Amino acid sequence: MLSEQEMKRYTRQMMIEGWGEAGQKKLKNSTVFIAGAGGLGSPVSIYLAVAGIGNIRICDFDSPDWSNLNRQILHDQTRIGTNKAVSGKMTLERLNQDITVTAFTDKIVAENVDELVGNADIILDCMDNFPTRYLLNESARRKKIPLVYGSIWGIDGRLSFIHSPETPCLQCIFPEAPPKEVFPVLGATPAVIGSLQALETLKYLSGMGTTLKGQLLVWEGATTDFKKYKIRKDPDCPACGNGKN
Amino acid sequence: MKVKVKLFALLRQFGPDEQTVELPEGTTIDDVVRSLKLPGTIRLLRIVNGEHRPADHVLKDGDDLALFPPIAGGWI
Repeated sequence: MLSEQEMKRYTRQMMIEGWGEAGQKKLKNSTVFIAGAGGLGSPVSIYLAVAGIGNIRICDFDSPDWSNLNRQILHDQTRIGTNKAVSGKMTLERLNQDITVTAFTDKIVAENVDELVGNADIILDCMDNFPTRYLLNESARRKKIPLVYGSIWGIDGRLSFIHSPETPCLQCIFPEAPPKEVFPVLGATPAVIGSLQALETLKYLSGMGTTLKGQLLVWEGATTDFKKYKIRKDPDCPACGNGKN
Repeated sequence: MKVKVKLFALLRQFGPDEQTVELPEGTTIDDVVRSLKLPGTIRLLRIVNGEHRPADHVLKDGDDLALFPPIAGGWI
């Protein structure tokens, strides 16, 4: 059931075709796991919180510093030194008191990933590195839940909706991790990709529209170019190939 | 045969954004990556005419090959 306050809060989005009160109730009963409360995790968690996702599990072991504040809009200068998941929970609860936010301050490793994801219906990949993404990819496969992949660099971004074995898994697309680096980035970049990650999640959970499954979206900010490419399973994929399906 | 090759993101420091190359019949995607001296250390995402293909995919005249490196960002 939606409360009177929730009916008012979500009235404009329930007007969207295919959403309605039924879709809104599905969101209220949903749980998401957001891996990373940084550049992508900020717009992802903010738009999922204000859309009325009932349970948000957000995880980050780091704390914000000055060089994060050009894009990590969950945090501000008063939160420097506070854990990002904890700071994120404070911001999200201020935006929407009708939802439950749980903060996890752990570093995601092979030993804890399944427990951190918990009973989530979907995983939001808001990481900055592929080794952790591969752990999320494996956890999503074990739990048979989707993973919304996003990554950014400068004013470029990529996005896909992964639900293995129905779709190729993340490692079918990018089998090897690029080297770790401090990369250029602007706040509007994760805003573009993070908003699309949130939208893919809301479509999947509410049942509205169709997701980006089996496709990779490549966005080039310099030319405002959005292209979608069909992606295929890699029979030699280290995660899902050679009969691992 | 002629194949159009497009480079994306960081690969652009190794060649023009877009070029048409003359190749012998039977050339694979991996042959092109080597001939353009692109960094072979990281496996690239290879798209031919809008579809994801493996490294040993044999190219045809008029193909459009796009090469993408993985990008990691999001969180730091």
